[in-house]
Amino acid sequence: MSRRKPARVLPRAFLALHLLLVAVPILVMVMWSFTASWPWPSLIPEAFSLKGYAEVFGGANGAAVLAQSVGIALATAVLTTTVAALGSRALARYHFRGKELFRFATVLPFLIPTTVFAMGVQVVFLKMGFARTVGGVILAHSIVALPYAVTIMADVTAAAGGRLEEAARSLGARPLQNLVHVILPQLAPGILSSISMSYILSFSQYFLTLLIGGGMVKTFALEMFPYLTGGDRTIASAYGVVFLVVTFAVFLLVEWALKKFGFRAGQDLFNLQ
Amino acid sequence: MINRKLKRALAPYVLIAPACVLLLVFLYGVANGIVQGFGIMPFLGMTTPTFDYYAQALSHPELIASIKYSLYLAAVSSALAVVGGVVLSAALTQAKASRLFQLLGVQVPISTAHMLVAIAAVCLFAGSGLVPRILAALGLTTLAESFPTVVGAASGWGIIFVYLWKEIPFVAFCTVTIMANISEKFGEAAAGLGASPARTFFGITLPLCKGAIVKAFLIVFAFAFGSYEIPFLLGPTLPKALPVLAYIEFQDPDLMNRCYAMALNGIMALICTVLAAAYFAVLQRERKGGRS
Repeated sequence: MSRRKPARVLPRAFLALHLLLVAVPILVMVMWSFTASWPWPSLIPEAFSLKGYAEVFGGANGAAVLAQSVGIALATAVLTTTVAALGSRALARYHFRGKELFRFATVLPFLIPTTVFAMGVQVVFLKMGFARTVGGVILAHSIVALPYAVTIMADVTAAAGGRLEEAARSLGARPLQNLVHVILPQLAPGILSSISMSYILSFSQYFLTLLIGGGMVKTFALEMFPYLTGGDRTIASAYGVVFLVVTFAVFLLVEWALKKFGFRAGQDLFNLQ
Repeated sequence: MINRKLKRALAPYVLIAPACVLLLVFLYGVANGIVQGFGIMPFLGMTTPTFDYYAQALSHPELIASIKYSLYLAAVSSALAVVGGVVLSAALTQAKASRLFQLLGVQVPISTAHMLVAIAAVCLFAGSGLVPRILAALGLTTLAESFPTVVGAASGWGIIFVYLWKEIPFVAFCTVTIMANISEKFGEAAAGLGASPARTFFGITLPLCKGAIVKAFLIVFAFAFGSYEIPFLLGPTLPKALPVLAYIEFQDPDLMNRCYAMALNGIMALICTVLAAAYFAVLQRERKGGRS
């Protein structure tokens, strides 16, 4: 035991440094969000206020925009995860012509920039009547989130294998029973990861929402963006803090909901190990 | 019996159908943009293909500078992110990091939008940010202005900072599971045979993770190359990152400029297609290697 200890000192020191580098920017943002004045060169703010948060939730429709964004992101997450789960099942369980082509096609939105897609598809969406609608924004977000969801779901589906399912079937489980009691619980850790990942992609999407929503579909990211260029650090930081708090609150709710339905959601948000 | 066989043959196509619909919309959108780059806009009565816009784009000195700048940002961020991410992944595996550690070190950065990191970078490094204040308190500077500017720096170090903060944990996320499996399977054996931890890592773990690492690199590269928000917020006026330049042309009220924007997008798509081909090659090699 004592011989192995030194081998862990270096990794642990590195992890501690990493954690510090992750935490400091977030903490500074939190501090700025409550700052009323912070004259140079003092190290802590001189006066605090809730002005930033009043700006986020105040105005005509601060809370409504936030609710709409969460709704769009959750719809994107559920749609993308469902589509990815189905596609992953085909990849894991079947041999079919075009399988490798499909596998490759699912990662294309990883590799071709969202900006190229957004500028190209805008006219198409306008013609089809999807532009400037919430549905159109959800569709566009789902496309961008798809490769993440497929990558996650394909791994979990392959790892789950088909033996439990077949056993249940041979014992007389009906398809629906099999789905609810065997298949979904096995996939639960992947479902949680995939929902979280798709949610965050939708919730933080600016460019695509701007082009597809055409200013008619307002989201939190769109509302936040002008404050980033405008330079009011207190308001921008308050938006940032609300963004993070809401995101993690939604993740906890999703995890709770999955547990409520009897799915053991695994150890981690993103199903690491 | 035949019915059952048919069902089994059709099942995978039914399962992939919804994903195919999404992917077709994606490809149609991308193709629609690229076609406009050749001056084809049927809704304006323009149907003759032309290379004029590409010729115009490629003769523009600003464009060449933009391509170089975007490639530079993507190359530096993705190379550093991969090195950092692999080290983080190895550290997480070696230290047998607890759940809380993984949550804070990997999942928090993945869940934080790029835009928020840009805010944080400004709060930290801009003229009156925390880092210049600390330097001043230590007596290293006296003026807020003496710290290298984070917004609009030609080196793009602020942009690279944001990408690294986000992508190092992302690369770790992509590699940590496979790395943990390998270390469990072969680590003990190698150590038992007398291999040093470093030798085990470079000789066994790293080669076996190569596929996952290359994939993560390509994803990060394409993202840094093609995204708009961060270079728009933190980038210099000249040269502009390629997506920023393309969007400026795209927004121009003169619709001819839209063709020019699409030609820029076509160039971006071409570079990314090369990346996609590389990704496909990695995928194929992994299949042949027997993993499924």
